[in-house]
Amino acid sequence: MPERRLLLEHSGDPEYRTIEGYEKTGGYQGLRKAVTMDRQAVIDEIKKSGLRGRGGAGFPTWIKWNGIEKEKTKPHYILCNADEGEPGTFKDKELMENCPHLVIEGMIIAGWATQGDKGYIYIRGEFVDCARSIKRAIDEAYAKGYLGKNILGTGWDFDIYVHLGAGSYECGEESALMSSLMGERGMPRLKFPHAPLPTVAGLWDCPTVINNVETYACAPFIIQNGGEWYATLGASTKNSRGTKIFSVSGHVNRPGNYEVEFGTTLMELLEMAGGMKGGELKACVPGGSSVPILNREMTEKAVIGYEEMVEAGSMVGSGGCMFLNEHTCIVTFIWRTALFYARESCGKCTPCREGTTWMVQILERIREGAGKPDDIELLRDITKMIDGRSFCGLGDAAAWPVAAALRVFPEEFEYYIGHGRSIVQSPEGLAMMPESDLARV
Amino acid sequence: MDTIPVSNLKDRPRPPKPEEVELRFSERAVKELEQLLTHYPDKKSAMLPALWIAQREYGGWLPPEAIAEVAVRLQRSYAEVEGVATFYTMYHVGHPIGRHLIEVCTCLSCYLCGAYRIADYLKEKLGVDWGETTPDGMFTLEEVECLDACDRAPLLQVGDQYIGPVTREDVDALIERLRAEESPTTIRLADEIVQAQLHASDQEKVRG
Repeated sequence: MPERRLLLEHSGDPEYRTIEGYEKTGGYQGLRKAVTMDRQAVIDEIKKSGLRGRGGAGFPTWIKWNGIEKEKTKPHYILCNADEGEPGTFKDKELMENCPHLVIEGMIIAGWATQGDKGYIYIRGEFVDCARSIKRAIDEAYAKGYLGKNILGTGWDFDIYVHLGAGSYECGEESALMSSLMGERGMPRLKFPHAPLPTVAGLWDCPTVINNVETYACAPFIIQNGGEWYATLGASTKNSRGTKIFSVSGHVNRPGNYEVEFGTTLMELLEMAGGMKGGELKACVPGGSSVPILNREMTEKAVIGYEEMVEAGSMVGSGGCMFLNEHTCIVTFIWRTALFYARESCGKCTPCREGTTWMVQILERIREGAGKPDDIELLRDITKMIDGRSFCGLGDAAAWPVAAALRVFPEEFEYYIGHGRSIVQSPEGLAMMPESDLARV
Repeated sequence: MDTIPVSNLKDRPRPPKPEEVELRFSERAVKELEQLLTHYPDKKSAMLPALWIAQREYGGWLPPEAIAEVAVRLQRSYAEVEGVATFYTMYHVGHPIGRHLIEVCTCLSCYLCGAYRIADYLKEKLGVDWGETTPDGMFTLEEVECLDACDRAPLLQVGDQYIGPVTREDVDALIERLRAEESPTTIRLADEIVQAQLHASDQEKVRG
């Protein structure tokens, strides 16, 4: 299938960032329609669309919206997770920079559907351009009466505030994000069923809807054109509807964001990004650093869809798709992945805090040529001891890439341990490696 | 393993006693914080924005006095504020940094696209290692994790700007440009972050 630009249709047009330009292309029509509808009808439309969370977990969006109490006893909060931090992903960045009104309109629609009082958009601290763009759009929306008091004559008041992070991958996890927004260290909290869902007790213990930037950005289209229309997109897949933005990077000729209908193949995505650069395809990490790595054969068979991707051996994740060419040393790549998680582990849960560091130490030992034959088994053991044993998904996400690489590319690890050096010795491959590796060549 | 940075606690000066705290926020900063506090139902939730204001007011980093001032203004303990500030990598707690912080992403896509060679070049050119500042106080070099602009790998962040993809020549030009820069980009970053969180109506009130 070719690229299908729905959310990103006008992304290249600077005028689209302004409220006038956005309105010209049908902007805020979704909200205008939503406020004429019954709140439950808006949620039903989202249900019909089959929209699932675009942040990585793929949870049905309507269930979150529907989970907010209907008889209001407390303030309701609408929270946008714009703490995009997954290595390889930069779709929310483009949406916020180039399509800020789309995100804001989606949040206001969610606010209407759930009787929201205030919305917060938590943007990672590094994304200053995104924050500026969103702030400008919020100011414009207030001036036009889409935010503030008595929105579009409905008598309903709703505000949106920008809140910036300060450098922490962990804050992209929803409970850690809420901790951070409430002025604490960005550490996760106990989750359902051991603690209430955010829809019951989220921000300041009040009902809270929390969705990813891309998820909110889908809502205006669903309301404007109907959930049934939206569900026709991606209908060839089992249970994935609509479009998904994939951020393609690594060894490709035209890295960038490509929006595709579910049902597109990974190879079609690679073609959109101009094909491989600097060598043949060796591996692909299709959904951000947390998802299992695929080898060439697996990549060639993979179809984009939440269930389809699991069948192919990986996950849709956040859509951060990295293609690796033949000169990439998988052991070094996995060491760098493990290092990321060791640095970003918040330190709350012992299996993740200690386990991620152990994995780095063992992988470093292998890279130094001092790997032991038992190390593969030891690494595998550690991944099992981390997976499912932490409060949040960061621990699982740290274990999966290592476990998958050991499964998919065992020969690379065996070679490294057996020979004390990487299986990759091409000049292109060595050029990627850290200095410490080059010193040993 | 020497690659995971640990906090330099031993170098951190003793926290000031409450009676020693001298409030140094400018009039503008006080008004900004006042507006930001209206965004949240409690004072504690303004912790991150308040630390950003403090980082700007105290010259791009957070000395113990800055932590103490935030604690006083938000009516929290020193320990709590320091605990929050040290969690986040963009707050520079207890040790000053250069006028320009050059952050090099070496995470996955950047590493695939040659970030380690750019890092080597920067270290050699500036004569510093990760986490170090040039003797003239101009540049601090830091390694960062994914900045999420992987289409522009290899990528650098300086202040509020992303720069990439970069070559050695781009690095030369950047260093030249930064040397001529009048205001520290570290302070500009903090200010931009504060401004982005204020509505136009808030900013009017700050201006008075």
